Amino acid sequence: MNIASIVETHDAERIALIDGDDTLTYGELQAWAGSIRQLLTERGIGDDDRVAVPAGNEPAFVAATLGALGVGARVIPMKPANPLPELDRKLASIRPAIILVGEEASWMHDHAEGIDAPMIDLATVPRSVAASPEIVERENDDIAIMMLTSGVSGNAKVAMLSQGNLAWGQAAACENSVDGLASEDVALASLPFSHIFGLNVILLATLRMGGQVVLQRRFEVDESLALCTRHGITVLAGAPPMWRRWSMIDVGDAFACVRLAISGAAALPVEVFNDMQQRHGITIEEGYGLTETSPILTSSRGDAKGGSVGRPVDGVDLILVEEDGTIVDPGDAGEIVVRGPGIFQGYFDDPEATQEVLTEDGWFWTGDVGVLDDDGRVYIVDRIKDIIIVSGFNVYPAEVENVLLDHPDVRGAVVVGNPHLDTGETVIGYVSGDVDTAELDRHARANLSRYKCPTKYHLVDDLPVAPTGKKIRRELR
Amino acid sequence: MTSTLPDFAFEAAPELPGSERVSRYGFSAVRRIVHRLWDLSIEGIENIPDEGPAILCPNHLSFCDSVFVPVSLPRRVWAIGKGEYMDDWKTKHLFPAFGMIPVDRSGGEAAQAALDTAARVLDGGHLFMIYPEGTRSRSGNLHKARTGAARLSVRCSAPIIPVGHIGTLEVQPPDQFTMKPGLPVTVRFGEPMHIADFGDPGDPRTIRPFADAVMYEIAQLSGQKYVDTYAGSEDKDEEQPKIETPVIAVPPGRARAPKLIAAAG
Repeated sequence: MNIASIVETHDAERIALIDGDDTLTYGELQAWAGSIRQLLTERGIGDDDRVAVPAGNEPAFVAATLGALGVGARVIPMKPANPLPELDRKLASIRPAIILVGEEASWMHDHAEGIDAPMIDLATVPRSVAASPEIVERENDDIAIMMLTSGVSGNAKVAMLSQGNLAWGQAAACENSVDGLASEDVALASLPFSHIFGLNVILLATLRMGGQVVLQRRFEVDESLALCTRHGITVLAGAPPMWRRWSMIDVGDAFACVRLAISGAAALPVEVFNDMQQRHGITIEEGYGLTETSPILTSSRGDAKGGSVGRPVDGVDLILVEEDGTIVDPGDAGEIVVRGPGIFQGYFDDPEATQEVLTEDGWFWTGDVGVLDDDGRVYIVDRIKDIIIVSGFNVYPAEVENVLLDHPDVRGAVVVGNPHLDTGETVIGYVSGDVDTAELDRHARANLSRYKCPTKYHLVDDLPVAPTGKKIRRELR
Repeated sequence: MTSTLPDFAFEAAPELPGSERVSRYGFSAVRRIVHRLWDLSIEGIENIPDEGPAILCPNHLSFCDSVFVPVSLPRRVWAIGKGEYMDDWKTKHLFPAFGMIPVDRSGGEAAQAALDTAARVLDGGHLFMIYPEGTRSRSGNLHKARTGAARLSVRCSAPIIPVGHIGTLEVQPPDQFTMKPGLPVTVRFGEPMHIADFGDPGDPRTIRPFADAVMYEIAQLSGQKYVDTYAGSEDKDEEQPKIETPVIAVPPGRARAPKLIAAAG
């Protein structure tokens, strides 16, 4: 097998990618990937060599990824804009044999002297060659893609996903939606391909089915609506901040063709789910997964319920456990622990980090706290590392933040734990908005148990939030 | 030494055990004896509704908790007990008088059967008592709540009344068959707690915060230190069913740092 082959079986005349006014057929994409294989083979790149691809959501990224996979190499997708120190750290941890640079990352050529690996400008690679090497056969367990994790909870790690992991994730994306992705689908790719959701669920899963992928270099709400209208988007995927933007505006008939709306990457607020349903008649399917799980673990598959991320998809075992591995009581919160064909092969060059999350019998400890309802639906509560312990009692920051956000003057809220002599930890609130903290304190006390109420408030202009909508609490601790 | 006997109404509940005459007189006699033999202080009795359902959630330190809490109430209360008590002539009349409903607690459906029985009591508009820790605390600390009480609260739309008592451990320490007379015992009833005040009762994420909040109130009433582990993990308890929960292996590299624990209140 080789997931590089997913584009090979489709009719060469079909459109695969749309980028602005340019279109690329499956035949052209196959040829371009072949040219990349030729280039890499000439340079001696083959099985398990690491190929970094810093690029935006551009056709060259797709060709480079498929080409590198085709010679048996491991692909490391990288976002195009990296502050230099961050880029240095990332390259030092992945030590690529070669770097294939996309248009959006072309600034890197100006810093070539500081980068050890050879860099190839993808714009200089011909889109087809007379003869190219065949796609090599790979085993199920061979590493195909190494993802830099978003690292909301700390230092970025590099998750190794195998051929089998990714193929399973794509199949799950196709089979676990209402009607499944199909060759007639036109998907909007606004989510970055350096993120597993954009890469495996949108780009690769759609290509696998022979559908069309409309590329958006970076999310911009008006442009996204124009692309939806122009290309008759049927599959709309977004992170919660994108859905929030769409939910608040008049979208005209931009969503007229949308038959599948998917949210992932972070918890979708219930009011956004409701607004999309009431305002635009769109029922968002929510899923849950991590980079380390390729990513799909759950899907709300046609019976979406606001607040829930759906049920585990076929093939995934999902349990909730205590810190010591005891399975929690029915209805109780516990760490989400999963097993299934999408579970990654470990962190690159970091056996210690791998041993913190993966057991020998294949259970992956996600670090997320969840609850199951009587119908087996999963609800995400919080990150386990964010739990604040006051006098022995667990305080879930999300619960406190939601109460603070209910106050009409609060625009944003993040709570963290600070050490406290008497109670172990105490809750500290960071809020943005035109807020009277005494009034906010009264609001909190009226709606929360005493031990959950922040003992101190800080008014701030902005709160640290990742592009996916995840709050970065560690920056406030 | 004798304490004030609260007014008591013997609630008719022919559909539940303990309604026959022998139970009625038996319980009345036991109430009088308990109030005469122990220095029982009762606080917060105004928090017990005159009618309608409520779930009483006391801390659990001693076998005699099941005596002191019921005799402190102005109404009858029911609770789940082991089916085997009904086979013993010493307990078969007395325990139903205390509102014990025998449930066969062997087998996989035992927990569900107990919850169904409890729901029957509450749906009938009566008081039901359940120890949220699930078993006696041998450490003396207040332990993490099992979810049964909170789930019952959702299912039956009944409030939870936190109960904290002090002194029962001295009256009957573990493994003692008899109760030592003459000692002070305090039973405190907290204000009724409604799950709707803690979030959407239909959202399962509301269960644990509600159960924790109940334990927080019990800790305020009993003065115990709270620890976020289940009771019974340190010892076996014959009175309560052993709660068997499957366990999986923890990742070998996971930091096992102890959680921060400090005194509540």
